[in-house]
Amino acid sequence: MNKTERAIYEVDQLHMLAMRDQWVNRIHPLVKFVVTLLYLLAVVSFHKYDVAGLLGMMIYPMALFMLADLSFKECLRRLRFVLPLVFFMGIFNPLFDSNRIMLNGEAYSAGVLSMITLILKGCFCIFASYGLIATTTIEELCYALRLLHVPKALVNQFLLTYRYISLFLGEVHRATQAYLLRAPKQKGIRIRAWGPFVGQMLLRSIDRAGEVYESMALRGYRGEFYLQKRPGDPAEGAAGKTRGRGKDLLYLCIWAALILLFRLFPVVVWIGGLARGIF
Amino acid sequence: MAALEVRGLTFGYDKKETILRDLSFTLAEGESVAIVGANGAGKSTLLKLLVGLLPNFDGSVAYDGLPLTEENLPAIREKAGFVFQDSDNQLFMSTVYEDIAFAPRNYGFLPEEVDRRVERAMEMTRTSHLRDKQIYKMSGGEKKLVSIATVLSMTPELLLMDEPTIALDPRNRRNLIHILNTMEQGKLIASHDLDFVLDCCGRTILMADGAIVCDGDTQDILRDQKLLEANGLELPLSLMG
Ligand SMILES: Nc1ncnc2c1ncn2[C@@H]1O[C@H](COP(=O)(O)OP(=O)(O)OP(=O)(O)O)[C@@H](O)[C@H]1O
Ligand SMILES: [Mg+2]
Repeated sequence: MNKTERAIYEVDQLHMLAMRDQWVNRIHPLVKFVVTLLYLLAVVSFHKYDVAGLLGMMIYPMALFMLADLSFKECLRRLRFVLPLVFFMGIFNPLFDSNRIMLNGEAYSAGVLSMITLILKGCFCIFASYGLIATTTIEELCYALRLLHVPKALVNQFLLTYRYISLFLGEVHRATQAYLLRAPKQKGIRIRAWGPFVGQMLLRSIDRAGEVYESMALRGYRGEFYLQKRPGDPAEGAAGKTRGRGKDLLYLCIWAALILLFRLFPVVVWIGGLARGIF
Repeated sequence: MAALEVRGLTFGYDKKETILRDLSFTLAEGESVAIVGANGAGKSTLLKLLVGLLPNFDGSVAYDGLPLTEENLPAIREKAGFVFQDSDNQLFMSTVYEDIAFAPRNYGFLPEEVDRRVERAMEMTRTSHLRDKQIYKMSGGEKKLVSIATVLSMTPELLLMDEPTIALDPRNRRNLIHILNTMEQGKLIASHDLDFVLDCCGRTILMADGAIVCDGDTQDILRDQKLLEANGLELPLSLMG
């Protein structure tokens, strides 16, 4: 597989993950969206030296990955370009913040602590978002956004951009192949050919995007996406109406309670204390 | 009342060049009509115009007496389904089921009804086994059949198709002919595949340079070697020698 094929494949794989027929995927998209949002807020709001408290927040991504049967290794591989950024953000903190602070009678470098919290916060947020994307299709996410009264124009823009990426990648793939077949000795595309190459690709994918849009319009698309029902799942509602479902509510309540618990109380310290009491 | 009535239709993409010149014809309910003509004759343009993708034309188009206007578009697009020449542009959802369900969902049908319509469309096009397949992994022929299914899920009264046999192997082509012949809907099919036209359409409209050259019985037109050659076409293989 060459690079463009790989990219198409990745976009598609993520989509297939989201399309899987399991119970986490079936939870109402709005519920998953709200839980994720709540989690992100909770994580970000931890104090910059509170490493112990923050560690407890690991529970959500861990549980989500297990419940949704997501591979952590796959996730790391997909996020290989994002994660280093998170590390770079924190890495200079020890230089700027040279204070020492006392925790449980021991002195720690404040800079190192804040570096750790920053990196943890970044990672947790990224993992939680990945967990959301990998269990919720883009159409469902857009639907959730609409329920939250995000303007229609914005949501549509988002959705069509997402579709456009796949079209564009497909076009790039075809054009590269056509080029390389006629230039077998070259490794890539010669700089001199870049101008017409990129121009052609843009024109062609705009053309295709236009026809795809026409195909949508011909089939009754009037600027509003309805919640996409998954095959074999009659419970999911269509046409913008969903039944209130007990499972969704339960999922929301349990996670909201757990997130608040871990945010407001030093649960990890309690558990540590318990463990120390036992041994 | 005619299922489709076209009167004095004239159209150009820009002011300078006229692509369609004063076309008039009618389609009876359930009638299968072929539009044939050389490359650039204006076949695709005509079909796109008939489903309201190209506004600003002169003349009139009406479905069951309902004129083709901006306000009538939703109703007309329920009556008339369009199958694009390039299936890659027709199909845009990720799986076959999702794509076929797109139109019924947009028209606000309840989930059970959507399900029923999708199943039926898949049965008619013999694509039930592809149900959960990802579109981008399918062959050209499979995509064509699914494209037709996406339109059939709205049970249109009239099916407009642009070059439906392109990208089909002989077996799938026969399959398509069989499927089309068992459907009671009216059909307006643009094609270069004259053998296919012989098998599927009783009536043929021959176009050249944006105008109708003749309109009549398929057998009569496709046997007329002089007429065909004068308009950039050749005798169908099955009628040669
Ligand atoms: N988007 C467009 N803008 C301007 N001119 C166009 C456009 N699309 C088609 N044309 C022109 O309109 C004429 C008719 O094109 P059309 O695609 O309708 O022909 P066709 O009969 O379908 O041909 P083919 O058999 O090759 O598919 C051609 O001369 C073409 O150059
Ligand atoms: Mg054409």
